[in-house]
Amino acid sequence: MPPDKIQLIGASRDFEARGRRVQALQPIDLSIQPAEFVALVGPSGCGKSTILNMVAGLLGPTSGTVAYDGLPVTGLNQRVGYMTQKDTLLPWRDVEANIRIALELQCRPTSRADAAAKVREMIELVGLKGFEHHYPGELSGGMRKRAALARTLIYEPETLLMDEPFAALDAQLRLVMLDQLQFLTRSRQMTVLFVTHDLGEAITLADRVVVMSARPGRIRAIRKVPIERPLDVFTARFSSVFAKLHEELWDELKDEVTKGTDL
Amino acid sequence: MADRARTTGGILAWQGVIALSIPAVWEATWRLTGSTWISAPSLVAVRLAAWASDGLAEHIATTAEEIATGLAIGCACGVLCGLVLGRMPILAGILRPIIVALYSVPLISLAPLFIMLFGLGQLPQIVLVGIVVFFLIFFNTFAGAEAVDEDLIRTLRLMGATRSEVFRKVIAPASIVWITGGLKVALPYALVAATTGEMLGSRGGIGFLLNGAAQQFDMTSLYAAMVILMLLGILTSASAARLESWLLRWRHAAG
Repeated sequence: MPPDKIQLIGASRDFEARGRRVQALQPIDLSIQPAEFVALVGPSGCGKSTILNMVAGLLGPTSGTVAYDGLPVTGLNQRVGYMTQKDTLLPWRDVEANIRIALELQCRPTSRADAAAKVREMIELVGLKGFEHHYPGELSGGMRKRAALARTLIYEPETLLMDEPFAALDAQLRLVMLDQLQFLTRSRQMTVLFVTHDLGEAITLADRVVVMSARPGRIRAIRKVPIERPLDVFTARFSSVFAKLHEELWDELKDEVTKGTDL
Repeated sequence: MADRARTTGGILAWQGVIALSIPAVWEATWRLTGSTWISAPSLVAVRLAAWASDGLAEHIATTAEEIATGLAIGCACGVLCGLVLGRMPILAGILRPIIVALYSVPLISLAPLFIMLFGLGQLPQIVLVGIVVFFLIFFNTFAGAEAVDEDLIRTLRLMGATRSEVFRKVIAPASIVWITGGLKVALPYALVAATTGEMLGSRGGIGFLLNGAAQQFDMTSLYAAMVILMLLGILTSASAARLESWLLRWRHAAG
């Protein structure tokens, strides 16, 4: 058994809102293996993003521990690539320069030619060819997401944290992106923690799916996905295994989703 | 498109009419009253022509040099201090009262001091321009550096950027919007500062010409000097606008 890549031990998180303490996340335990792909699903406000923020070191747990490679996360965790819900593209850089930025940093010495080649490859991959010199302000929401994805993938972080990266994409493009993401993360042995609203997306990509309850969030169920990898993202959802798991997970999720809307 | 071209053409035509009618009215008033206090565009033109062959270029160069040098120094210091203090809230808090106190001293009251300290050359004007520009650029840059989107900074930090890389790749470019805003405000003030200094004591520059004219009740020369100052003002504003639209081209794209 390899050591855990990411480990949450009794990790909880409170927030202060208008002088009231609100518990966003009840103490949870979760271990993620190296090169494992874990999807978090659950209603809005169940603390999924909070978990990602804690793993990235942007937030500390109120109680418990968040560990990465066996060590508690204390400051910013620079071993992870984090694709937040809000795309944080730099508005004064065009698409190409935005995607390139990680390769311009001292910690990743890259020659101009290598960087340019990689950028071209990523732009091709996320389907932004022809938009290299557009500024973020000129792009649609979906295109901005794809640029942000390319920017995160280009430097191949060992762990990817993704917060609903494909929510703004249309159905066809989303499948293409799922396929690419599966290929990239599997071939590069990346560990991935993936937040989504979409059960199908979760089952398609993940080794394990974690269902969370409505606020204050806790883990309601964890299911292994018993499907051989790599799978064909375009047809996987029509298999009986897929359908059965989808139904099972939806049973867990639907109470929580209705609870979520009551709040 | 055709509509727009017609409108633009119409606007230009009207602007031309106004630009021609003001000197025409001025000229006519002078001819009717014959008052030397009013002078006339024709006299001003003759005076400018006379000056042109008698050292006008040097006077313009003197003022322009003072503005350019003061701007360069004031901008550099203002941007640097603004960026640094904008990202160091505690230091900024400590220095705030001092900065506000210094900024509260009226510019014109500094001119005699600088003339005594730095003599009758260009230096007092350069220092005056530098100080005015410094404060305006500083306050704007400071506000800009404070307002940088923290999410952008975090994104870069997570990618492994060092503090200085975050500074160069996020904070500085994000503040450019504010810096150019400050620059646009500062330019007319730079002209004011240079002219004021020259009027109070100097051996050259447009302010010197202006002061000389005023002391001799030479209205034509006074107007001539003002015309040159106006042209200098227009020139600096226009170049600032061009610089801004180039620096902020990504913003126009968004619009």
